[in-house]
Amino acid sequence: MNEELGIILETTSKILNKHVDHKLRQNIDNNNSDLINLWSEIEQLGLPKIAVKDKFNGSGLPLSTTLPIIKLSNNIGAPIPLSETILSNYILSESDINPPSGIITYAIDVKNLKILGNEISGELISVPYLNLTDKIVFITEIEKTKKVILIKNSGENKELKKNFLSEPRYNLKLNKCKILDMKTINLRVNFKHLGAIVRSAQMIGSMEKILDLCIDYCSQRKQFGRALSKFQAIQHQISEMAVELSASSAALSTITNSYDFYKNKKDIAILKIRAGAAAGKVIAISHQVHGAIGFTQEYELAYFTRNINSWRNDFGNESYWEDLLGKDFLENNNQNLWEYLT
Amino acid sequence: MSKFNFPSIKETNDLSNLRKEVRNFITKSLNDKDFEPSADAWVFSASPEFSKKLGSMGWLGMSFPKKYGGNERTALERYVVTEELLASGAPVAAHWIADRQSGSQILRYGNEEQKKSIIPKITAGECFFAIGMSEPDSGSDLASVKTKATKIENGWKLEGRKIWSTGAHIANYMIVLVRTSPASENNRHEGLSQFLVDLSLPNVSVKGIPDMTGQRHFNETLFDNVILSEDALLGVEGKGWSQVVGELALERSGPERFLSHFTLLESFVNEFKNILIKSGSKLIGKLIAELQTLRRMSFSIASMLQNGESPETQAAFVKELGNKFEKTMVETLREFSNIIPLYEWPSQLQNLFEDATLRIPSNSLRGGTTEIMKGIIARQLGLR
Repeated sequence: MNEELGIILETTSKILNKHVDHKLRQNIDNNNSDLINLWSEIEQLGLPKIAVKDKFNGSGLPLSTTLPIIKLSNNIGAPIPLSETILSNYILSESDINPPSGIITYAIDVKNLKILGNEISGELISVPYLNLTDKIVFITEIEKTKKVILIKNSGENKELKKNFLSEPRYNLKLNKCKILDMKTINLRVNFKHLGAIVRSAQMIGSMEKILDLCIDYCSQRKQFGRALSKFQAIQHQISEMAVELSASSAALSTITNSYDFYKNKKDIAILKIRAGAAAGKVIAISHQVHGAIGFTQEYELAYFTRNINSWRNDFGNESYWEDLLGKDFLENNNQNLWEYLT
Repeated sequence: MSKFNFPSIKETNDLSNLRKEVRNFITKSLNDKDFEPSADAWVFSASPEFSKKLGSMGWLGMSFPKKYGGNERTALERYVVTEELLASGAPVAAHWIADRQSGSQILRYGNEEQKKSIIPKITAGECFFAIGMSEPDSGSDLASVKTKATKIENGWKLEGRKIWSTGAHIANYMIVLVRTSPASENNRHEGLSQFLVDLSLPNVSVKGIPDMTGQRHFNETLFDNVILSEDALLGVEGKGWSQVVGELALERSGPERFLSHFTLLESFVNEFKNILIKSGSKLIGKLIAELQTLRRMSFSIASMLQNGESPETQAAFVKELGNKFEKTMVETLREFSNIIPLYEWPSQLQNLFEDATLRIPSNSLRGGTTEIMKGIIARQLGLR
């Protein structure tokens, strides 16, 4: 498994490094042939269906195995919905729906959904990359049963959401949209939990890149006759970023190394809290040490900081998970804190 | 960044069973009133009797070879035992330094005679150590130490003073970092050596320094031309710097860097659980997340030590993050006194809180300051 993953990581890295540059990130459109070429190579490698069951022509790897790949993709800063497609396909496959080919995305939230026969109306909130696909997965409760729904959106009913993300995100009004497939969700699949894990892996990959950008920039940029990196005030700020990042990576490795991570709400909460808190510090420090150049579109820092700023709010921010984790302990009357921790 | 990974290590059933065993022992000790849980117990609360009991349970010098009276257990087993002791606020200060770092230094660098005579006593909880690094003029700048050892016939003459020697007044030995030859022009780390000094030797004097809490654990240790035998040299003459760096990895990476005040947090949540459910779950959740992350990082380092790696940088990460966590924790509890005034807290909890508040400034000084930790990390990042 590890060897197989190593090969996949190496190949992915080659493909992404070949195609991704900062220019590509600034033109995320489905008529951009560079982007289309990149995706088709990703598809040839089988990444979209890497966590999909064999019977649906997937690679059948556990979702935890895909986290290093997702992390890598966001370390390189590939402007493609890889994590969205992997997660959407996983959810479909686990719920016994054969995932369609190509890019597929999900709605993070839904509002006022009504189903009539084979048609659905209502609102889908925060749908990433809807400019590149029309296939959307979402989850909703119908008569006290959680359902996975797959639709193909046809109309011009989408509205580009203004957000602090580098990647496009949409809100969508559905009016009697045809349902392609709908099944009861596999109980192992908790969308919010999985989303929190994937977003954390994406944040960590991006933060590693941000740290590298800071080190490179501060080593080259000279002021007062010496490189910024030679100022202790700068060194200590960058060290603090590294500390935050290492704590987040430690929280991620607990999940990556566990095949039944989906059972463990505690570890997921810890990961999302830790990565989200780190993101806040990393954004502030990285912009501080970069000065004005970091605040421009032409330099790549902001691409990464804008993304992590958004992802830390997806699938529950730190407060949400802190409250959940605190209650998980406090409402359990049988254990004292040390027993709970160990 | 890959060099700063903290691989996830699972606690096996054997380790969990060991945990239970230690926990039962502590419960019994508490019932027998062997000790009163205290804050910062690994620095402030020494009980040679309790140390001896731990020795008889096989929980000191756990990873040392059987040949020298050790238990040949793993660094992960030692980690579990130390965690349980720290979490309960047990009086572990007497043996802490010997068990954590001095024993390992002797096993690594000492001669056969030293190993045979000292290691079994450490393992039995009958031999205690103090650290001999800081001096009146050398704190963070450790390479500037002036205490010196001069070669004489059949031995060495030791001259100088060490300061902030926690526990030296009850310790039997100190591993002393000294200059044995002048620093070379371009490398100040050359010419340093470590000596194993018996504190009962003539011309050694230990004088207490009350700390700001009024308690005694600090000392100044004076070496006024102390005559040392030839084999008091620990390791290689002139290689003291690299030896001391390895010792610091042991010193900085352990759970005492984030569990020093755990007894306070535990008593606090026990006392106010019902109120916290309504208005404090977020605060507690945040502390749990940080604490659990630190435990994993530190446990991961224990496994690196077990594999013979030298995780000096990773240790700096744990120390830096752990110190910060403890400060945040005390602050979080302080803010809670807005809801239930401090004078309404049970007196034992008030005491723990006040002790923690007073002692917390020292956590980011002892074992290397925040600034030194960040400097170590910056060097690894290639910034200096």
